[in-house]
Amino acid sequence: MIEVTALSKVFGSFTAVRDLSFAVRPGEVLGLVGPNGAGKTTTLRAIAGIIPPTTGQVRLAGHDLAAEPLAAKRALAFFTDEPRLFDYLTVRQHLNFVARLYAVADHEAIARPLLEELEIADRLDSLPAELSRGMKQKLAIACGLLHSPQVLLFDEPLTGLDPLGIRRMKDSILKRARAGASIILSSHLLHLLEEVCSHVLILKRGEKIADGTIAEIRARFGNGDDKANLEDVFIRATGGSER
Amino acid sequence: MRFTTAAALLYLRLTTAKGWFASRLRRLKQPKYLVGAVVGVAYIYFFFFRNLTRNRMPRASDAPAAPPPETFEIIPDVAAAALLLTIAINWIVPRGRAGLMFSEAEIAFLFPAPVRRSALIHYRLLSTLGGLALTALFLTLVSGGWASAGVSAWLRGLAWWVMLGTLSLHFTATSFVVTRLLDRGVSSLARVGAGLVVLVLAIGVPLVWTLTALPTPTQQDFAGAPAIARYVETALDSGPLPWLLAIPRLVTAPLFAGDARAFVQTLPFAILVLAAHYAWVLLSAVSFEEASIAKAEKRATRLAALRSGNLRTTATKRIRDPFRLRDAGRPEIAFLWKNLLAMGRPFRPQSALVGAAIVAAAAFWLSSAGLRGGQVLLTVAGGVVLVVVLLLGPQFARHDLRSDLKNADILKTYPLAGTQLVFGEMLAPIAVLSTIAWLALLAVTLGSAATDVPPVVRAGAALAVAIGTPFICALQLVVHNAIALTFPAWVQSVSNPGEHGLDVLGQRLVFLAGQVLLFALGLLPAAIGGGVTFFVASWLSEPVLGAVLALLVALTVLGVEIWAGVRWLGGRFARFDLSAELRP
Repeated sequence: MIEVTALSKVFGSFTAVRDLSFAVRPGEVLGLVGPNGAGKTTTLRAIAGIIPPTTGQVRLAGHDLAAEPLAAKRALAFFTDEPRLFDYLTVRQHLNFVARLYAVADHEAIARPLLEELEIADRLDSLPAELSRGMKQKLAIACGLLHSPQVLLFDEPLTGLDPLGIRRMKDSILKRARAGASIILSSHLLHLLEEVCSHVLILKRGEKIADGTIAEIRARFGNGDDKANLEDVFIRATGGSER
Repeated sequence: MRFTTAAALLYLRLTTAKGWFASRLRRLKQPKYLVGAVVGVAYIYFFFFRNLTRNRMPRASDAPAAPPPETFEIIPDVAAAALLLTIAINWIVPRGRAGLMFSEAEIAFLFPAPVRRSALIHYRLLSTLGGLALTALFLTLVSGGWASAGVSAWLRGLAWWVMLGTLSLHFTATSFVVTRLLDRGVSSLARVGAGLVVLVLAIGVPLVWTLTALPTPTQQDFAGAPAIARYVETALDSGPLPWLLAIPRLVTAPLFAGDARAFVQTLPFAILVLAAHYAWVLLSAVSFEEASIAKAEKRATRLAALRSGNLRTTATKRIRDPFRLRDAGRPEIAFLWKNLLAMGRPFRPQSALVGAAIVAAAAFWLSSAGLRGGQVLLTVAGGVVLVVVLLLGPQFARHDLRSDLKNADILKTYPLAGTQLVFGEMLAPIAVLSTIAWLALLAVTLGSAATDVPPVVRAGAALAVAIGTPFICALQLVVHNAIALTFPAWVQSVSNPGEHGLDVLGQRLVFLAGQVLLFALGLLPAAIGGGVTFFVASWLSEPVLGAVLALLVALTVLGVEIWAGVRWLGGRFARFDLSAELRP
């Protein structure tokens, strides 16, 4: 469960996120959409505990991120758009390192099917420099999933993946949601969100314009068109501009 | 080069230079660069600029370090010989295909554009020569103290520029010649044989001739600087050296011209050599595009790595685990494990044992062979290493928060308290520096067996230093990491070797001063506590007891300081807002 209450983030005189509240229940996948500079990444980074919110509260799996940061972070996995790996650690060493941080017992038994699912099981001794961008992304995902997180945050997760990789990633996200994880997915690929997400939250200039199930959003911004796709809905909701 | 092409390329170069200069000026609005610029300018003025106006021969009264006139007279010949040696090494050392140093943007825009290859070469060579003007300016400032009389700083700068330009063009021409040979199939046996013959004739024969013609030095030749200077002068006039040095002497002559008249007389010949090199590069044009692209990519990768805090670009060799990291246990150990991996192959526990065995074996051999001089050398070498590691080690062993700040966003998602993370990050440099210091200490202790110091005293002192070493390293690392976390944007530019300029120079000086001051302040309470304890305990009891108690007190004070520092750093990291701290 992800609960965000009155979250705001201010940088100097610039308000990146203003009074944002929403919740993602277990099994739900929330699509976070908005024009460039809408505050999507700032929101995700505040929920992940990377940047402290200026005001507001974030609760992950029942733990207040400010009051119980360690318990909240144990339930969390955050996947950045650019895979952030340690240059000098191989795939196996990355998993070993993360397992120790999260105290994952017998991590090799957990990692094996995970690596096979992500199709990097044969690259155990490769360094990041020897992996393609897609493979680096898969390694970052394997590291994030190793401790079976209940809360998953994805920031543009499909960047750099090939069509097969995209298909597998979508299946993987849905599989985790069915297993009871609460997931937030930020992406500009609206057709992906339409396929994967149960809910959508639209941000513009740091403020929530709308949130709800895809059907609810379509009903509100579809101008009566039940078959309007998310792209049309998004353009109508945001007024077709960044500002 | 057609006029329109030349105009476009000139426009590119000028607007790039203008943009670079404007961005440097603009960033002075930020206090960190303004303060750095003020300090940098002050430093340059006090240490170099005054020399710029001192255009005279050094006098005996100048400073004890000033070279005697005889020594000064051979400097032009030595410089020419150094130039010749540099060129010879450049021919001998193997190299890849010729590539001109274009930026990635230049390659993307200029290579597909309707621009002649010769225009590209002109553009690159002229850009390089233009860039060397800054290096020449720097060398003019640095060389102000020993430059010859009668020549203004500007003329000296011009002389430096001509010499550097000639050298740069020679390197480019060499790479073009080698590439041409490669393109003609020099790898075949016949070519290799021919190459060897050329090598022997061009380098081997003059070398042997020179070595046989050199006068054998006598003991009188080393009786002071003037005698050495005379010997060097004679040596450089023997065998084929006057012939070989003829052109290098033409190139270096303006730099050592005694007055403006001599400068004007020598400069045309130097410029002629420069122009000949320029023509040589143009005439030996080869397929440089592929190698240039590879060079540009390599440079871009290196710059990106430097900007993100890595001295090395990317890891290409996998390293075995320094030790087995179990799934359960304190998470700090995971950071020790990770950072030891990042430090590389030599930094493994086994390496320390091998090092200790080598030091012990060397000391034993020197002792059993009665080589007293060798023992003294071992002691001195160990002492120097120990001092360097204790005082400068933490500056260079940066595999802690300083190198991981670029991963701060990922580190902050880990379920760890800030204190755990900071302490874990510091463990690897503490372990590595302490181990190197202990090895040096072992060398000092075993090497000093030849001295009159009683073994008990030597062992006691060694033990005290050995115990104190991790504390000293940890205290400095706390200071370095505290500065990195307090001024992350400063550290980003200061620790980036790709950053240049007066403002960055000033920033580095401010940082160094701050680090030294904080470290000294950190040591002060321990030193006072230990000193007072020693005197009181020695007065009440034995000095040995006083020393032991003083050590305990000093270590306790240091321990408390380190603990408080790590706690503070942990809290600071937990509150650390990377997005705000590193916003441009």
